Amino acid sequence: MDFLSFMPEWLITHGAAVLVIMPLLLGAITAILPSERLAWFVTLFVTVFSTVTAFAILLVIFGGETQLYKMGGWDPPHGIAYVIDGLNAPIIFLICSMALLTTLYGLKSVVAEVEPKKRAPFYAAFMLGMAGLLGMVVTGDAFNVFVFLEVSSISTYVLVAMGASRDRRALAASYNYLILGSIGATFFVIGLGFLYMETGTLNMADIGGILRNLDGGSRVSMVAFGFITVGLGLKLAMFPLHLWLPGAYAHAPTMVTVFLASTATKAALYLMLRFTFTVFDVSFDYVFTVLTFIITGLGCAAMLLGSLSAIFQTDARRTLAYSSIAQVGYMLLGVGMLTAMGLTASYVHVLNHAVIKGALFFALGAFWYRYGITRTEDFAGLGKMMPWTMGAFTLGGLSLIGVPLTAGFISKLQLARAALDRGWEWAVVVIMVSSILAIFYIGRLLLAAYFQSPPEIDGEVVERNEAPLIILIPMWFLALLSIGIGIYYSDFVVQLGQNASDVLLQGDRP
Amino acid sequence: MIDLLTSNPGFIIILAGFLCAFIPVSEIRKFLVGAAPIAAAFLIYTAFKDPDAAYTTVKAGGQDFIVNRIDRLSMIWGYVFCLAGVLNAIYGLHEKCKITDSSALIYMGAAVAGVFVGDFLTLFIFWEMAAISSVMLVWKGGENSFPAGVRYLAIHVLSGVLLLAGAIIYARSNGMDFTMGEPGEYGFLGLDKPGGLLLFLAMGIKCGFPFLHNWIQDAYPKASITGTVILSAFTTKLALYALARCYAGEDILIYIGAVMTCFPVFFAVIENDLRRVLSYSLNNQLGFMVCGIGLADMSGKFGELAMNGVAAHLAADVIFKGLLFMSMGAVMLRTGTAKASELGGLFRSMPYTTIFCLIGAGSIAAFPLLSAFVTKSMILTAALDTALYAEGYSLWVVYAMLLFASAGVMEHSGIKVPFFTFFAHDSGKRVQEAPWNMLVAMGLASVLCVFFAFPWGGYQFLYSLLPFESTYEPYTGNHVVTQMQLLFAAMLAFALLKKYGMYPDERRAEILDFDWTYRRFGKGIAKWIDAMWARLSANVGVLRKNAIERSGRRLYQMFSPAGTFSESTPSGIAAVLTGGMLVLLFIVIYLS
Amino acid sequence: MAEEHTHMHDDDHIHPLSRRFLWLADEKVVKGFFWLPAIGLAVTVALGLYYDFPEKHKALWDFFGSWGLIGFMAYSFVVFSAKPLFAMLARQENYYGEETVPENIIEPVVEVHHHD
Repeated sequence: MDFLSFMPEWLITHGAAVLVIMPLLLGAITAILPSERLAWFVTLFVTVFSTVTAFAILLVIFGGETQLYKMGGWDPPHGIAYVIDGLNAPIIFLICSMALLTTLYGLKSVVAEVEPKKRAPFYAAFMLGMAGLLGMVVTGDAFNVFVFLEVSSISTYVLVAMGASRDRRALAASYNYLILGSIGATFFVIGLGFLYMETGTLNMADIGGILRNLDGGSRVSMVAFGFITVGLGLKLAMFPLHLWLPGAYAHAPTMVTVFLASTATKAALYLMLRFTFTVFDVSFDYVFTVLTFIITGLGCAAMLLGSLSAIFQTDARRTLAYSSIAQVGYMLLGVGMLTAMGLTASYVHVLNHAVIKGALFFALGAFWYRYGITRTEDFAGLGKMMPWTMGAFTLGGLSLIGVPLTAGFISKLQLARAALDRGWEWAVVVIMVSSILAIFYIGRLLLAAYFQSPPEIDGEVVERNEAPLIILIPMWFLALLSIGIGIYYSDFVVQLGQNASDVLLQGDRP
Repeated sequence: MIDLLTSNPGFIIILAGFLCAFIPVSEIRKFLVGAAPIAAAFLIYTAFKDPDAAYTTVKAGGQDFIVNRIDRLSMIWGYVFCLAGVLNAIYGLHEKCKITDSSALIYMGAAVAGVFVGDFLTLFIFWEMAAISSVMLVWKGGENSFPAGVRYLAIHVLSGVLLLAGAIIYARSNGMDFTMGEPGEYGFLGLDKPGGLLLFLAMGIKCGFPFLHNWIQDAYPKASITGTVILSAFTTKLALYALARCYAGEDILIYIGAVMTCFPVFFAVIENDLRRVLSYSLNNQLGFMVCGIGLADMSGKFGELAMNGVAAHLAADVIFKGLLFMSMGAVMLRTGTAKASELGGLFRSMPYTTIFCLIGAGSIAAFPLLSAFVTKSMILTAALDTALYAEGYSLWVVYAMLLFASAGVMEHSGIKVPFFTFFAHDSGKRVQEAPWNMLVAMGLASVLCVFFAFPWGGYQFLYSLLPFESTYEPYTGNHVVTQMQLLFAAMLAFALLKKYGMYPDERRAEILDFDWTYRRFGKGIAKWIDAMWARLSANVGVLRKNAIERSGRRLYQMFSPAGTFSESTPSGIAAVLTGGMLVLLFIVIYLS
Repeated sequence: MAEEHTHMHDDDHIHPLSRRFLWLADEKVVKGFFWLPAIGLAVTVALGLYYDFPEKHKALWDFFGSWGLIGFMAYSFVVFSAKPLFAMLARQENYYGEETVPENIIEPVVEVHHHD
């Protein structure tokens, strides 16, 4: 707790608000800044500051507290409240720290991937997106969630579209994302409308209390649950609502892909957890049925079909994008178990997957940065051409497969144990099969990189050209972190998962 | 970190392997390849002095992994693996290949680690690690080896999956306890236990049970020269260890082992590729040990003798089988082939290799003063004693089969391999003697072959490492005399058959084995179904357009970038899907 | 056999150690080799009279010289079984279509006739 003594008192008490408001304000200012370099420094400042604040908050929450911050001093349910507890504190820290790492990475990659005059607005949109995600995670007000969801979504559409200078298909991908994201958000807000109809309040804790008193409420709240689940399902790329994701990941600028892959779907999953377990409750029949049958089933389908799709991709980014869909499947499977162990496993995988996918997409971005490589067949000889980047990619890939001593192993082990504990042996089989499929789609890339020789251009073997240090540092940080979680910090991460599941299941258990 | 690294002797070898992947200087890598097993052997030595202190568990993700524990059974396996590692390191000194060095170390480390782990989950990890790292050695054998490597990998991954599945079922029946019995407890698991059959099958695949054995003869002869030598030492022996720990005294193993000793004899006699002959011979020796494990019923009278026999024969087998593979590797390095039909008369140019090969051949054939004379006889004696003790004739059949196989070993490994390579008709190949490092490795292995059967202090030393105290006396007049009778008679039969032209010539051919079922028959059936499907769909005119000719293409059509699941402009479809999802949810909610 | 003679003259490439053992390839040694195991067998069978089987460890078929008989029979059986097995199991070397064996050295294995 030494770290906390350095933090000013006001920052911890007002931290929740500062985290959201600072990137919003500075984002707006950044948009009109004349210099891209200045914009980068502002972004860096915001992300560093947010990361430190989020870390302090995480430590406070880890001590067992729950923070309730009343906006403008208005008491909920009339005012808007920001709530930070064991469930969202790690997600907040994840968003802030990933934003920091991607910003570092962006110094070089944005220059390569975004047109000069769009760079300052790019950073502005990035900060707005970050503010949106943080807002959605931190707020305790249901309508506020919708507002921030839209803030983050709209800025994300812009960010994806900025990949157009690298790849024109980014425009189509962004348009797709826009259409589907809007459908998702609309469904979500329709669901909120029904909830308001039923309970007359928008404060999440309040809604939860009233619904429990009504013992699940009438048909209206059932319909609300359906709309909210589908709306959030779209946002978190739940199979088969994932169709926007591969395009968006494949064509966005690398920095955005990393940020999206490791935070956006996670924040949406967080919302789903928050809504299903604390606003609604698993003791309601309809929630229980939907989670046990639909969410679990879709999770397993995602694990298998997503991995299978990943094998057949010709573009490495799409491979990883489909892998992400499969990984969301793992998380949904854990949620569908409705046990403390299942939720812990799911939450652990949320954190681990963010780290792993971050490292992998960083590496892919570096391959593009140096050699313009995105297709899987161009991986030949990368082990010699970019040994350090490929090394990080290898560590990340092994972790994704779930090789022991890596983060991926910890989450898969947790999940398998939870499945056994629930009596679902078949789920262990699904996990195994999906992991074997992962061996194929990662192994394919690794074999090409290490066992094939580098291509020849005009009769000369392509020379080694390692990525710049500022790109290697965040990449290796995540790659080593994924190993570190596998070896040293597994208990810590699992503890975070348990704290989260405690929050979710603090009421009655099924 | 240091504690974890030294907790299991295998870990430092694995670490050295990973380091090797990044070291560009061949000399440093070679040093690591040699030093790592020596360091591991030292760790085994210190660990065994205080087994309780060596007991290590690691908690990861809420699960306890017993990463290290040691008893006499794992100790001898560990020592033997380290010894083989040192010999292989010397044998491979001339080769400058980062991938071989690195994967050989990881593979060996996984095998060593695997014998010291205390629970099935940790065993599973090293089981798969050994499989994945060793396939690199197969693939280093050149282009022809790729499909064999893929089959090898597929079979071993399957074995691992079965192991895990069996372990989970076993543990569930047992209060989620994955522990592999107590240290010093052999045969704690029976086939009747839940999951027992799956675990048995997993180990059986890796151990080369009949009909599950084909990966050995498929992959080993296609691996690189050094690769085959390295492969021959670890994979099957790790499985043998697991079998000994879990299923010692399981009756069915006696019969499986007996069959395993006999059937390879017939394949070996017609096979032309001498490295494949040795692979069959490997299978045959494994049979003796599997049979021994079956006889090692700890509650019975001769269990300890049988278990000692298994452990001792393991030590001998790793060395002499390694030696034989080494000598064939040396021949292959110099002549470019290991086919009996292409070789002959090489004693003129490779005299030292000839001598070492003869020592290896004599060892496997169990000549007195050479290793198998002591070690194989322990298993044979255990079989004989059990047969005398037990009622019924089934064990007599087993004992007869073992005797028959002993004569068969003389045929393929004792005579065929050295004769057709170094003697027989002169192929006219005049090559250089093997490189010095290979000669040193083979020389050391030869010394060990003699040492393990040396009557004055040699086999006694081996006894001191065995799981139980051994009182078996190999050098009795009767034993020496009868064994010599068997061997002389076999040699006489060979000489006479050869003299009268009744010994078949070596001919080039692909010899079919059970793998035909999946390499040809399965493929054929797939093709047939494919053809039938094409015909069917051709007849059904409407379906014709959609006829999908092969399952691979079908998957591709579904999942590829151009496929149904990944269309790049899916807004319309996606919107419909979203609506569909909503309807589905409503139906489920309504029904609940 | 013809091939053997064409190569016998390039003595230069014979290893120095092997020069002392060239007699191993001598026609007489090769033809007379069977005397070595024959005499060995005779001696060990005779010794078997002295070193009899211990009563405690005597198999059903353990009698004077029986191991020699077993060895001879078993060995001959294995060798004689080679011919039918080869006829049954041998296929062309690139049967599975994986080997890249040059066409000209693939021996067609259609029917196996013993060349006597």
